[in-house]
Amino acid sequence: MTIRRISAFATAVVVAAGVAACGSSSSSSSSSGTKSSSSSAPATINGAGSTLAAPIYQQWGSTLKSQNLTVNYNPVGSGAGQTSLAGATVDFAGSDPALKPADLAKMKGPVLQYPVAFGAITVSYNLPGLKSGLKLDGSTIAGIFSGKITKWNNSAITSLNPGMSLPSTSIAVVHRSDSSGTTDGFTTYLSDVDATWKSTIGAGKDVKWPTGTGGKGNSGVAAVVKQTTGAVGYVEQAYAIENNFTYASVKNSSGTYILPTIPNTSAAANGITVPPDLGISTINSPNSSAYPIVSQTFIDTYKDPCKDGGATSSTASGLKRFLTYAFGTGQSTLGAGSGQLPYAPLPASLVSKNQAQLATMVCNGSPVL
Amino acid sequence: MEAATTVAGGRSVLERSPAGRLPDQVLKWGLTALAAAILVLLAYFFIRLVGQSGNVFSTYGLKFVFGNDWDVSRNIYHGGALVAGTLITSAIALLIGVPVAVASALFIAEMCPRRLRGPLSVLVDLLAAVPSVVYGLWGVFVLCPHLLPAEKWFASTFSFIPWIGGGVPALYNYFIAGLILAIMILPIVSAISREVIATVPAENKEAALALGATRWEMIRMAVLPYSRPGITGGAMLGLGRAIGETIAVVLVIGNAPVIGKHLFSQGYTLAAVIANEFGEATGIHTSALFASGLVLFVLTLIVNMIARWFVTRGAHGTRGTGATGMTIASGPASET
Amino acid sequence: MSATQIPQISTRRRRTDKLMRGSLFAGTMIALIPLILIIFYLLQRGLGSWSKSFFTTDPTGSFFGNPGGIRSAILGSLEIVAVATLISIPVGIGVALYLTEYGKQSWFANTVRYFVDVMTGVPSIMFGLFIYIVLVLAHVGGSGFAGWKGSVALALLMLPIVIRSAEVVLLLVPSSLREAALALGAPRWRVITRVVLPTARSGLVTGSLLAVARGMGETAPLLFTVAVAFGVTGNLNQQMNTLPIQIYTDIQSPRSEIVARAWGGALTLVVLVLIFNVVARAVARRSRMA
Repeated sequence: MTIRRISAFATAVVVAAGVAACGSSSSSSSSSGTKSSSSSAPATINGAGSTLAAPIYQQWGSTLKSQNLTVNYNPVGSGAGQTSLAGATVDFAGSDPALKPADLAKMKGPVLQYPVAFGAITVSYNLPGLKSGLKLDGSTIAGIFSGKITKWNNSAITSLNPGMSLPSTSIAVVHRSDSSGTTDGFTTYLSDVDATWKSTIGAGKDVKWPTGTGGKGNSGVAAVVKQTTGAVGYVEQAYAIENNFTYASVKNSSGTYILPTIPNTSAAANGITVPPDLGISTINSPNSSAYPIVSQTFIDTYKDPCKDGGATSSTASGLKRFLTYAFGTGQSTLGAGSGQLPYAPLPASLVSKNQAQLATMVCNGSPVL
Repeated sequence: MEAATTVAGGRSVLERSPAGRLPDQVLKWGLTALAAAILVLLAYFFIRLVGQSGNVFSTYGLKFVFGNDWDVSRNIYHGGALVAGTLITSAIALLIGVPVAVASALFIAEMCPRRLRGPLSVLVDLLAAVPSVVYGLWGVFVLCPHLLPAEKWFASTFSFIPWIGGGVPALYNYFIAGLILAIMILPIVSAISREVIATVPAENKEAALALGATRWEMIRMAVLPYSRPGITGGAMLGLGRAIGETIAVVLVIGNAPVIGKHLFSQGYTLAAVIANEFGEATGIHTSALFASGLVLFVLTLIVNMIARWFVTRGAHGTRGTGATGMTIASGPASET
Repeated sequence: MSATQIPQISTRRRRTDKLMRGSLFAGTMIALIPLILIIFYLLQRGLGSWSKSFFTTDPTGSFFGNPGGIRSAILGSLEIVAVATLISIPVGIGVALYLTEYGKQSWFANTVRYFVDVMTGVPSIMFGLFIYIVLVLAHVGGSGFAGWKGSVALALLMLPIVIRSAEVVLLLVPSSLREAALALGAPRWRVITRVVLPTARSGLVTGSLLAVARGMGETAPLLFTVAVAFGVTGNLNQQMNTLPIQIYTDIQSPRSEIVARAWGGALTLVVLVLIFNVVARAVARRSRMA
């Protein structure tokens, strides 16, 4: 009899918890940031995509919660983000590569892309004895990731690093298993600098990797590199810093070996041509002090999120607030200072182009408030 | 005295009025509709599945199942490596899991002291309560790193055996996936085997013992042959579970769409590829993933059909589908 | 009559017997090792994460700072499983009632039984895919990913478990009880609601609790139906956080604090599932039908 009561109680608890949670509104997390004067009506926006930029959106989401804006971001990779936007299951997509005509064709309507930040793609490795100073050039990296160079003391690597004692450990290549903008940036760089790579493997969000383990997302690759001695993988800088990875300095287009610091990342954005749809690319930048593997990252939304994306007008307003923050106050969270996220912020010229483009966002034809 | 035997409308007083019959009719047809809805749902499920994967088979034909080239970047989807990976990991799961499960079933049913039977059964069945994501977590952070040195030793010591030894073990590989699957199917196979073994008529066992057989010989001569169909059925149900398991496998198999060259190399399975690539797929990629799901579904269907046939053949005394059905469906609690 | 010599068992056979019996014992111990190891590591690595803030704060999603706790994951899971239970239990018991009271051994009932069996074998990810096409992509209810759609996927998974276990239990109700009630003139529906269901109640509760335990632990059906969220949303028509998905995402993070949270979450999930299992067993044992 008691047991029956207990079991009935248990089921009741489950249902009650469900109902109670239904009743409670969004969480009351204490806001450590300053309360903005523009605390408008509460809105929730959903995004998905690039894991390269995920740290940024997750951080911004944390901050914006105190301004009544909930941002849910699902870091599933740039490819999945674009697909989600095409299916209108999200309000914005995070995408590292600019949208190609083929991508635009899959969308439900015109899509606007806003460059948001620049992140360096590091070549991180796990060799306990080797703390810094490894130099690699494009063709060596291509050789490693195509499986031709299999040991760390291979002559190609030792010739670039005289005076450094490299172990005979096998190289464990780690790449992305999901459709990734980081892969797109990395392989674009390799295709630019190595003709064999270009003809055999090529560039893209997904490529057929001849060797190595697949990790899901930047964090998946980082996790595998962390667990495997002798591993090397390409991870965005924030992830490399978060995990205390050692990464190589890479030879850029001017022949200098550059470390992926924030100034060297920003340098990549200087002097690039900006097309009218803002679809820039900072890979293998011609700037002489630039780190060669810098990726741009965009936020893609529908020009009319209400008509094409199924958003309500309050969601569209929320989207606009998010974007305004993104190339406004949000930019000050990016940089090399302590407490800042290790990404390079936008140059002023791009900020104004973004703002001009944002003004064209509409909701069912009328401007978004 | 004449009792009234009819009421208005010529109906006998013992019969219920049409209004009184209504709730019964409603209930009957309501429940029938509910049962029919299950069939409709499954049919719809199958139709949608086939519909979504249609053009894949017309584009690739049988190469989808037998060809070995799953290349997302070039939009080529030959899933041979996936099918191979599914079969390899399931085979490892069976090879490791079934003997252990049957051994535990024999021990619990035949050999251990009576009062330990309950607790031991509960413990083995408890493995079924662990969610697959927890198995995945444990696999990634406990099994993979701790077994890697042993795998390396094994591969180098037994390098003369083709495919088993000789390679460089990867952190995530077929073997770990198969091992975790073995642990996951253990409770199912053990529970069914226990039930089947319990149905062996006591006369058979007593006869063997009376003829002077040792305990083991009695098991070998009387118990095993009798329960073999049921145990085979249980093993096939475990196989069905192993084929379809997604989360635990996707975390430990390495996700490389190739047919691994040795036991400790990375691979991929049909279920894992769906979990990994579904979010980003478009067009024919999505169809290819649905087609993988279809192949998966058909495989599990066939295996389960064969399993059910074996189990009902083997469970002679008990209500075949009943008790074992409950075990199959819910795992731990089997009440009869 | 001389006493016939009972043939002695040869040493070889005795040795084989001992060896094989030892192997059976060893096999059983081997079967228990994973359980012990899993519990050990869950406790070792998971207990350390348990703290008041673990259960009262949400995952912050912030990259460098405090990762936060799992409150929204637990609440989301409870909500979604609660709705799945509300869907699958009535439907499941209803179908089981049909099978035992009306259909019995008719070809239709046997077909239904067969396909319910088929459903138990379907990999859980397939239910997620099905709901993805039917409900998520079609934007049913005005949303893409939503909590209630995950509930539907889970309900599909739990349904065959409920039906099978309910059928077994309902069949155990003695026909004499039914016949007595019918003989007293009770209409069919009364017999079912007043006699059959109450008699089978504890068995039905057992089966339901086992189905709930199963539903709580599933990840794959939620992957493409509920997606991801951090805070407590409470709105089932939106993306929500769930415990299995939270654990799944945390496993793939390189940050050791987040991996620690995965262990804490896994321990929580196992405890929740075990509670349902233990209560189910206790209910079953208390009311064993003789």
